[in-house]
Amino acid sequence: MLDIQNLHARIGDKTILKGLNLQLRAGEVHAIMGPNGAGKSTLSKVLAGAEDYTVTDGSVQFAGQDLLALEPEARAAAGVFLGFQYPVEIPGVSNMVFLRAAFNAQRKQRGEKELDAAEFLAWVRHRVKQMKMDPAMLSRGVNEGFSGGEKKRNEILQMLVLEPKLMVLDETDSGLDIDALKIVADGINAMRSPERATLLVTHYQRLLDYVQPDRVHVLADGRIVRSGGPELARELEEKGYAWLRAA
Amino acid sequence: MNAAASYEQAFARFLAQRPAAEQALRSEAFARFREQGFPDRSTEAWHYTDLTALAGLDVQLSTGASADATPWALEGCSTQVWVNGESAQPTSSYQVPAGYVHGGLGGLHGAFARQGLDLHLAAGESPPQPLLALCLSTADSAREMHHLAHRIRLDRGSRAIVILREAGLGEGTRWITRSLEIDLADGAELTLLRVQEETAATTQWFQGTARLQRDARLHLVTVDLGGALARNDWRIRLAAPGAQAQIHGLFAPTGRSHVDNQIEIEHAAPHTTSREVFRGLGFERSRAVLNGRVVVRPGAAKTDSEQRIASLMLSKQAEINAKPELEIYADDVKCAHGATFGQLDRNAIFYLRARGVPEATARGLLTCSFANEVLGQIAHEGLRTQVARVLLQRLGVGADLGLSA
Repeated sequence: MLDIQNLHARIGDKTILKGLNLQLRAGEVHAIMGPNGAGKSTLSKVLAGAEDYTVTDGSVQFAGQDLLALEPEARAAAGVFLGFQYPVEIPGVSNMVFLRAAFNAQRKQRGEKELDAAEFLAWVRHRVKQMKMDPAMLSRGVNEGFSGGEKKRNEILQMLVLEPKLMVLDETDSGLDIDALKIVADGINAMRSPERATLLVTHYQRLLDYVQPDRVHVLADGRIVRSGGPELARELEEKGYAWLRAA
Repeated sequence: MNAAASYEQAFARFLAQRPAAEQALRSEAFARFREQGFPDRSTEAWHYTDLTALAGLDVQLSTGASADATPWALEGCSTQVWVNGESAQPTSSYQVPAGYVHGGLGGLHGAFARQGLDLHLAAGESPPQPLLALCLSTADSAREMHHLAHRIRLDRGSRAIVILREAGLGEGTRWITRSLEIDLADGAELTLLRVQEETAATTQWFQGTARLQRDARLHLVTVDLGGALARNDWRIRLAAPGAQAQIHGLFAPTGRSHVDNQIEIEHAAPHTTSREVFRGLGFERSRAVLNGRVVVRPGAAKTDSEQRIASLMLSKQAEINAKPELEIYADDVKCAHGATFGQLDRNAIFYLRARGVPEATARGLLTCSFANEVLGQIAHEGLRTQVARVLLQRLGVGADLGLSA
């Protein structure tokens, strides 16, 4: 589903990704771990199409398409979802308006029928319940006055509503207490299916106790330096990242 | 025909139709106009806005035209309609408004103005519905002018919500002056929503004056969406302890429109409070001016005043000149102010696009979010939605993306 070859990317004149290779098949969950500054967030943002980053070499194929040739909104419509590490607050634009704008914009780009307000409300409502969120949040501004944990939960709600094919979750577990972590993990697990793939970008092993990955990759200095099964995450938790650099 | 002659002729014709009781006052006012003319840029307050071209205009008085008010009507309001300064309902006798920011301009207005809204609430009264004063302008031919003077007097402890909606129809060029005098007695509360949507062929001068007595409260929400040239002068006097003025202003000129807001709040008594929040949107080749002046008179101790102005440049050709201005003649006061200018947050645009929202829509939503601190204060949902829709349309976003969920 996702095939990243020799990806090089920079921000300003600083090169961050230096030849990254990664393959993700439909139905799989992969975790990307690594020290601060390794390029984890850069990878997430490059996949979603952030303009601040320039891809200087390499390719990304997503479901047979050249992902890098698409605008961010077209990537979303094609099924790529980025869960932001720092979700943006948009006061005065309600979550409901935002969700519906996003949902219908994607459907329109795919040539599907848009949902009216009533149909969409039905679509959203039980997902709000699933994330154990107060339905009143739908009429509040997007992330306006939300705590860090609420913002992350809102990211997962958006993911449930938009039903993407590829979910890239950038440190969605950071800033969550244990209850919120379970809710977020349940949300991610609910989306696991043979047609979808997930890339969990995380610093800690914690989330992986709840969302079992098929593969774990270590990203350091802009490259995948090691890949393994779930046991690799536990090893990293015990030993930290320093031993990788020494090796 | 030279300019002076066109105003002289219009005045002679107008005066002949007015009741005898008004004639002396109007003639005096016209004499002031004749003597002082239009303001030019030599005075600081008119630095950005030059009205001298009006002197050369071959004006004629608007004929009382009819217009369909339905598109501008608002639900749940008791409504009065003026078309080109004339009302189908009987209006109270005319009084020349007192005090103007410019003698010549005030003279012109005083000479020609018809009585507009005249709201007088007795002590403790509080009408159940907002009052909508709908002022429409149309112009069958070019260079028509009309002038309208409103008055709101709230006696002790009375409360009202008034919506002043000014909208233009038709293509003709026109020149409009409007005034509003507000008197709030002890403990009176007025919420005033003024939304100006004149056409791009309209020159408009508005003057609002307000006097607030003890513990009186004024909440003014002022929105400028239209006009070729729109100039608003507000003078708000907090005359007694406990008086509070709160202003939320939004200006969003487009095309080559020029909008100039001059807001003066005078703290003339101790323990008075003022709050101003302005949001400016600079579209296309428009030009906006905002001068927020706060004057603290001697003895007005414990004055508490705050001004926050933020502007968003949506086009490289747009220009916004915004500045707070403080004059303080008292000790022990708190006066905060700030003005910022910026562009939309790139990260926020990316956030929306990453959810599938096209860039233009993303910009529209974020612009409405920026304006929301003022939009959210429009205490009538229908009006708020309509204003948001105008902004979204200017941003190229379909009207179906209303801000109400």
